[in-house]
Order: sequence, then structure tokens, then C-alpha cells
Amino acid sequence: MTRPIDTLITILSWISGIILLGAISSIIGYLLLKGIGAIKVSLIFGETNPVDALFLRKQVFDGIFPAIIGTFALVVLSVGFAVPVGLASGIYLSEYAGPKIKNVFNLSFDILAGIPSIVIGLFGFSLAVFLHKHLSQYIFPCLLISSLCLAFLVLPYIVRTTQVSLENIPEQTRLTALALGATKLQNIFYVLIPKSLSGIVSGIILSIGRCAEDTAVIMLTGVVATAGVPKSILSHYEALPFYIYYISSQYSNTEELLRGYGASIVLLAICSFFFFIAFVVRNRLRYHAFYRI
Amino acid sequence: MDTMIKIKITHLNFSYNDHYVLKDITAEFQENSITAIVGPSGTGKSTLLTTLNRLWEGIPNARMNGKVEIRFAGHLYDIYDRYYSLSELRKAVGMVFQTPNPLPMSIYRNIAFPLKLAGHEKKDAIADRVEHALRDVYLWGDVKDRLSENALGLSGGQQQRLCMARALILEPDILLLDEPTSSLDAKAGGFIEDLLQNIKGRCTILVVSHYLDQVKRIADTVMELSNGTFIEGEM
Repeated sequence: MTRPIDTLITILSWISGIILLGAISSIIGYLLLKGIGAIKVSLIFGETNPVDALFLRKQVFDGIFPAIIGTFALVVLSVGFAVPVGLASGIYLSEYAGPKIKNVFNLSFDILAGIPSIVIGLFGFSLAVFLHKHLSQYIFPCLLISSLCLAFLVLPYIVRTTQVSLENIPEQTRLTALALGATKLQNIFYVLIPKSLSGIVSGIILSIGRCAEDTAVIMLTGVVATAGVPKSILSHYEALPFYIYYISSQYSNTEELLRGYGASIVLLAICSFFFFIAFVVRNRLRYHAFYRI
Repeated sequence: MDTMIKIKITHLNFSYNDHYVLKDITAEFQENSITAIVGPSGTGKSTLLTTLNRLWEGIPNARMNGKVEIRFAGHLYDIYDRYYSLSELRKAVGMVFQTPNPLPMSIYRNIAFPLKLAGHEKKDAIADRVEHALRDVYLWGDVKDRLSENALGLSGGQQQRLCMARALILEPDILLLDEPTSSLDAKAGGFIEDLLQNIKGRCTILVVSHYLDQVKRIADTVMELSNGTFIEGEM
């Protein structure tokens, strides 16, 4: 016979799940309702011919195409910086670090995870000023500085999910390849990482989402309202989160606000695209992809 | 005779979290024979096996002192010498665990895995050795037409034989088995026992077992662990 407390917990669990689903559906539903009408070629390319814009023959002034490119570049660069460092750190903490070093690193990453994004943005701005003064006058807040700061922001997610995923592998699985003569490195690459891919990819997906949506960091480190498609990693750039922010705070008519909703849908679509790539990569990187025989 | 000794343990002590599991163990194991290690639960039988391939070394707070020597190519080597290669030791001292642990990949890849770890690249040679290993464990007939299927789809007994094939493919000098039939039915267990009798001519076998009937059937020597000490007897 089920105890009343079990029934209560079951009901509360269901309610929590329904609230969560309801919240997600409401947000996405509201965005789609408001913004789907604004999804047009002109939202993305403005007055510029799409083909000319895509081949970078002409600049786009009224559309979000430069912001889309900027966001793509931002996510690719920041995740590109963070993933190798985060993976290596997670593997080091799980497989190599002694208990004292592990405690120091874990505390450091916890502190890093707790730093507000605006503070990281301020750090990035200060870094840009310092480099401009002491290294090269051509260094400004730019795509590179923003990417590095975002990489700092998401590093704790990747490190922690990698570390925890590896540490949760059962002892017998951990010993299987070692008992067959594998070196420690072979064990890590052929058994442990494939086994913990699900957790690792979850961390990467979290990071992708954070990099794509964070506004505070990029506001201080290189994003501007109008810069066109970024010419290099040392140039100013546009980004969708910033576009959504300034258009929703400074719109002068309903049409502009609806463009903000449209840009939000585009940003969600970009994040979904990156998540899809992450899932595909995870599914392809099964055990047999790690060794050919 | 000294030349018949394959493994020599001298004053071995093993502790975990400052609690002694093995105390002053001194023993010798004969070459090309089956030695059964018996005793109550918790007396360190499985731990003793892990001292022979140094698999205990990943466990935090575990400590060991004493000497373990194994005869390879006519010479006794101290396997805890710091210049001794761990991966080479474990290729020569194979281990089969109590619970079958195939990796989540195909039957073929599971068996070929140790060869890949050892750096073998030639596909034809690998395929031959895989077939030979599966025949050794009487599994070839069951799986020859489905080598690309996931090994996790095999029955428990088949998985355990697959694990044995995987351990045997590198032709180890020594095979350590930790209660290899405890999770199997009588028929599957019988297969394993026959297999051990067939391979003891080319391999020194140490098997931990709780089944005295099984010990009587297969073991040349029985060693009982009790409170960290050995009581030795011959069949």
C-alpha cells in the first residue's frame, strides 16, 4: 500500500515537471506568436540583396545578418577555446590530480562559476585597455577578447561535467582496459571518454547556450550596434543578444519591437542548430570511432 | 624445484584505509597448473589477485609492501620494480573478473581490443587471432555469423567466455580468475571449467572460488586464506 508521503512526492514531482514544461512552452509559444510574423527576408538582409549579402559583396545595414554571423563566430570561437581546455582540465582532475590539488582546483572553478558575467566583461575590457596601452595600439575590445571572456565564463561547466562524468564510471569498467594491458592514456581515450560522452556533451551544450545568449560580457568587450560582418577576430562585431537588448530597450514603434521578437526566434534557431551538431557528434563518437581495427 | 615456480610472493602485506587485508603472505605458485584460492568472504582473495597484476594501484588509501616475483623467459622479475612496465605486466598476466564486463561494442571489436592496445595493425592477422581465441573458449560456433553484433546481446555465460577469450588473445603467461562462474548457471560454469583444464598446459592459472566441488574438480593445488594467512594443501 502506497504511503501518503510517497503519493505527495509523486504529485509534487509531476507538478514540477508540468510547471517546467509549461514555462518553456509559454516562452517559446509567446516568442513564436509575437515574432513569427517578423521572420522575413528583410529582417535578415534589410534592403540588401540576399545573394550579395551572403557573398559579402555588399554590407547589410537594416538586417540582422551581421549579428547572425557575429553570434556564430562568437560561439565557435569561445567554445573552441573552452572545450579543449575544459576537457583537459576535467580529465586531469578526474584521472591525475591528487586530493589536495583537486580541492584547490575545484574551489577555483567554483569561484570562477560564481563570478557575475558583468565582472568577467569588465575584466575583458580592462585587458583590452592594458593590451592597447602596452602591446599594440591596434588592439581594442573585439571578437577575440569577447570570445576569450566567454570561454572563461563557460569553462567551469565543461570542467565540472567532464570531471563528474569520468568519476562516476563504475570501478570495474575503469579496470577493464587496464587489466588488458592498456596504458592510462589508452584507458582514458578508448574507454573512459566514450563512456562519459553523454555527460561531457551536456556540459558543452550548456556552454553553447551560454555563449550564444550572454549579453553582459560582450557589451563591454567588443559588440556594437552597427559594425557589419566582422572582418577579423580583432574587429568590432554585432551579435543577436545585443541586438535584442538594444532594440527592446530603445524601440520607437511596434514594428521594431516585433523585429526583436523575430531576432529572438532566430537566436533560438541558432542555438538549436548547435545543439543538433553536438548530438550528432556525440552519436558518431561511439566506441568504434575511437579506435579503428 | 625452483624452475617450476612461476610466482613467488614474499612477506606481502596489504592494507586499505589502515586496515590490514593481507598479512605477511609468503607463497609460491607452480607453473602450468591450476591453483584454487579459497576462504571466507573478506579474507583478501580478490585483493591477492590484484597484487599480481598491480591492478590495486588505482585505489586510494591502499598500501602494499613485500615482494612479488614472476618468472618470465626463465628469470624471476620483481614486478614492483619501478622500471617494470605496467602495461607489459598486464599483457602477460591476464585477468577475468567475477561479473562479465564486455565493452559496449561488437563481439569482434571486444576480442580484438587487446591487440589494438598492444599496437597490432594487420587486419588479417588480427582476424585469425580473434577466431583462434573464440575457438579456445568454445564460442566460435555460436558467434561466427554475428561478429559485428553488440557483445552485450550475448547471454551471461557467453559474455564470460568472451571475456576469457579477450584475456587469452594476448597469450598471457598467467591467468587470474576471480570467481569466474559465480554469476553463471551450471552448464555455463561447466564450459569454463573444461576451458581451464584445456589451457593450463600453456598458462599458469589462479582461480578464486567459493565452490568446493569445483575446486576439487579442477585444481591441482588449493590454498586457503584465513585471517590473512595461507593454509596450503595439494590435491
